[in-house]
Amino acid sequence: MSSSSTSFASGGGVRPWTSATSVSFSGKRIQKEMLDFNANPPADCSAGPKGDDLYHWVSTIIGPPGSPYEDGIFFLTITFPGDYPFKPPKVVFMTRIYHCNIDAAGNVSLDILKDGWSPAMTISKVILAIRAVFTDPDPYKPVVPNIARLYLTDRAKHDEIAAEWTMRFAR
Amino acid sequence: MADKETPPLDPAISPSPAAAEMGEADSEPSIHPSFQCCICLDLLYKPVVLACGHMSCFWCVHKAMHGLQASQCPICRNPYYHFPSICQLLHFLLLKIEPLAYKKREVETLEEEKHLDCFSPQLSEHVSFERVHLEDVKQSSRSPKSNDLPETVFKSATGKQVSEDDVICPICKKLLFQPVVLNCGHVYCDSCLSGLVDGPLKCEVCHSLHPKGFRNVCLDLDHFLEEQFPIDYMTRRDSVQLKKAQGPKGEASSSVSQAEEPKVGKSGKSKYNEFFFDGDSANVHVGVGCDSCGMYPIIGNRYRCKDCKEKIGYDLCETCYSSSSELAGRFNQQHRPDHTFELDDSQMLEIHKSRTVR
Repeated sequence: MSSSSTSFASGGGVRPWTSATSVSFSGKRIQKEMLDFNANPPADCSAGPKGDDLYHWVSTIIGPPGSPYEDGIFFLTITFPGDYPFKPPKVVFMTRIYHCNIDAAGNVSLDILKDGWSPAMTISKVILAIRAVFTDPDPYKPVVPNIARLYLTDRAKHDEIAAEWTMRFAR
Repeated sequence: MADKETPPLDPAISPSPAAAEMGEADSEPSIHPSFQCCICLDLLYKPVVLACGHMSCFWCVHKAMHGLQASQCPICRNPYYHFPSICQLLHFLLLKIEPLAYKKREVETLEEEKHLDCFSPQLSEHVSFERVHLEDVKQSSRSPKSNDLPETVFKSATGKQVSEDDVICPICKKLLFQPVVLNCGHVYCDSCLSGLVDGPLKCEVCHSLHPKGFRNVCLDLDHFLEEQFPIDYMTRRDSVQLKKAQGPKGEASSSVSQAEEPKVGKSGKSKYNEFFFDGDSANVHVGVGCDSCGMYPIIGNRYRCKDCKEKIGYDLCETCYSSSSELAGRFNQQHRPDHTFELDDSQMLEIHKSRTVR
């Protein structure tokens, strides 16, 4: 799933079967997603192109109630590759967050954004998945092991720090 | 809080060129949810149905396929190696249900194909014409007021009624019930396929093998049929269930024993399956597909046509080469039976080779 078949397209001569993904294809699909997203946006989320460029979006997610991130406003940038939806979008947190699956640079480690990507996935599904990770971190596949360890050993302390970070960076 | 922070995004959205088309797209009539492609999110164009029963457009499936190893269904992740042929039944059905939207998709796709200089199969117009013509004959025999041909053709091309003749099973000649689309694109009732004789699952119309023997009901089409022909669908369901219930004592004994089997038939263990042991990368022809059965990538020997001039070429896998199939290419290549083939391993995957290519 992850390895790109189009990378072979560079070789000249006989190019059996492999086709290039046109930019118009991804553009059309992103436009459709934008319309769908605006028609029924997921709860407490927003997303849309940053400016004129369809391939760069900004999204906000409100920390779900009941989690230590409650009421925090988290900004994310979403970058679509040229061969979207055959390759996953890149999602990066702009707001700092204390979470074992999100590293200091804001990179989200989420299976569906890597090998688990499928072209049937949409941005609103991705955002919902990220929102789900707020309430249910996966400490067994962490990118920040220290946070995961604290989450497993002292949940109260973990939640306290996470809430403090939310207060500091996400309000 | 939320309201305070989200608005800054909205002005950013509106000046974008995409927003200009918002109104246009909103005014478009919405497509039947069963017939929305999960990849381009548009109306299915030249639909292809995977073995698991999920469907997408011809190009969407092709672009989503891996070319290096097994591909996965975008919806259920069922692994598959074969690029199925276009389902003509669905193609003509969509042309009837959504004539305008479908034509629009045709124009768009053709433009992109011209740009890429690679074309999807042209579904023979005369077939569709014949179909339409046949229906017209039937219609005119039913109703005395028949117009001259060109007009009636036009009428049925834009009319929205789908008749049961568009969706019948070639085996039982009745309305499709729990339709299964085989790799070749032909559609059958699931129960009719279970009634076939033992051995590899083969299409009754074109006699091509269905890879791995794995098949699944195309639920989207099934729901559509149930919605469109509620009464006939119920009758069909009852009769199929009755047949199943009568089971052991019922009519043809051979069909019964098959009907009891799970969906993955015995044919899964057929000779055909020998190619598909995972992890074997010695014989993989990267990015090369068989133009007959659709195996992509080709595993095993690859035969390349020396006479096809199209950029995309024409290739066959071992099985299809030895069975001398006469199917047209998957990308509208003008391949003819008198063309000659040669064994080709230029795209063979070898570890050092693949590294240098990258």
